[in-house]
Amino acid sequence: MATTSPSLAPSRVVPSRRWRRFTKEGGAEILLLIVGLLLVWSIISSIIPNPSRYLPAPLVVFFSSGELIWKGLFPNYVGQTLYRLILGSILGLGVGIPFGVLLGLNRTVSDMFYPIMNFFQSISGIAILPIIVVWWGNSEKTVFTVILYTALFPIAFNVLSGVRSVPRIYVNAMRTLGASNYCIVRDVILPGALPYIATGARLGIGFAWRAVIAGEMLTGRRGLGWWIFTAQDTDHTDQVILGMLMIGCIWILLDRYALRPIEADTIQRWGLVQR
Amino acid sequence: MQAKLVVQGLTHHYPDEYTGEDVHALDNVSLEVEDGIFAAVVGPSGCGKTTLLNILAGLLPYREGHVKVDGVDVHGPGPDRGVVFQEHAILPWRSVARNIGHGLEIQGVPADERQRKVAEFVELVGLGGFEDRYPHELSGGMKQRVSLARTLCSNPIVMLMDEPFAAVDAQTRITLQEELNRIAIATRKTILFITHNVDEAAFLGDKCFIFTRRPGKLKATVKINIPRDRRIWKDLINDSEFTNHRDEILTLVREEVSTLGDD
Repeated sequence: MATTSPSLAPSRVVPSRRWRRFTKEGGAEILLLIVGLLLVWSIISSIIPNPSRYLPAPLVVFFSSGELIWKGLFPNYVGQTLYRLILGSILGLGVGIPFGVLLGLNRTVSDMFYPIMNFFQSISGIAILPIIVVWWGNSEKTVFTVILYTALFPIAFNVLSGVRSVPRIYVNAMRTLGASNYCIVRDVILPGALPYIATGARLGIGFAWRAVIAGEMLTGRRGLGWWIFTAQDTDHTDQVILGMLMIGCIWILLDRYALRPIEADTIQRWGLVQR
Repeated sequence: MQAKLVVQGLTHHYPDEYTGEDVHALDNVSLEVEDGIFAAVVGPSGCGKTTLLNILAGLLPYREGHVKVDGVDVHGPGPDRGVVFQEHAILPWRSVARNIGHGLEIQGVPADERQRKVAEFVELVGLGGFEDRYPHELSGGMKQRVSLARTLCSNPIVMLMDEPFAAVDAQTRITLQEELNRIAIATRKTILFITHNVDEAAFLGDKCFIFTRRPGKLKATVKINIPRDRRIWKDLINDSEFTNHRDEILTLVREEVSTLGDD
């Protein structure tokens, strides 16, 4: 076989560079797993009674919902939800980072706030939603308050640890160069805490993403969460599943193409995080 | 002429970080470093050398005694005293050039003048071609060169160095000692250099202050009159003037170590 002349042998398929990179990063395994899960899902759908109510098959979800996607109704809701997530995350970062820095810099302040923060951290965004609804009704303000509340704790706690992790020697060196406190925070504390800030942001935005969906469900503001809720009300299980899939997929894309690159571009270049 | 750095009757106590016991670190220390003089402080470990440096740098407040730089009392850190630390104290998120120019940036020196100065000191410490590298890409010796250049760039009146070559390998250390000597000639800086290495002190110092074990007192001052341009390891290693001074210092330091007994 090995001696067969090349002209007689069937032309071998040479894997493209892109494919080789894909398989090297474990893409093939992930693909296999997804196909496997879809297969299991399909099998379950085919053996249970009344699958269109309990668990429509993957292809059914895909086709029955396709129409909604092309019509623009679905993208409209996704857009609404994303808009809330982005604005809410900016709010969360805007409040959480300065708050975390303050806690990290001042022992007295952190000793004062820590128990209170720990207390509120245990009360999830969903648990505070009812009282917010009492105050502000089913408004956009309510949804944003819940997102901010949810994102705030992981961000502030991580920034706090980040600030404390900055080696004392950097601060001392800056002081001997005549740096002001403002300058030390800007040039030493913030960049030094960046790996933790990035982690806090990823966690915070991740929690915020869950909070948006929950907030929309309970307040009835249009968006992905509302979509899932109304689809269940009208017995459109395929649409419920489509909504859930979207939530997961959008998060994977956001994390991979927006949040991780920020971390990689700055932190790895400085040698602060080795992979 | 008045000395650039004057320490008078400096005594310092501090509570131990873990046990809370009172540590008597410095006892009535008085010393003077004249303009352009390279002074080395030698002593056994735990003799209060680093405490002394931190007080001079203004990082540690003191109550008993006086510290004057150029006739002015020292309170808190300031750019008149440049410090080169033992550990790597340069910022990992700044390139070599931006680390070196950081002091000037803080002082508000305009960018073009800053660039010119940075280029000058990059050359002086032999870091040409590495301006855009980040610290994690450099060896330990190169990091200390960056640290040295950063301090020099701010043009301090006095340079304080806290065992800056303690963490580098022996070969690099010898090279760095010779380079520092060359830089001392070029810049004529007044330098206070802390070390536990007797060879290093004798090689670099015009004046060596030998400290006792804790509580640190000034035990002796040894003057070394070897001209700076003769200070090259290859030549000095067998030079009787150098070896005599070194042995003298070594004897003084070893008395302190041996009296530690079964401490």
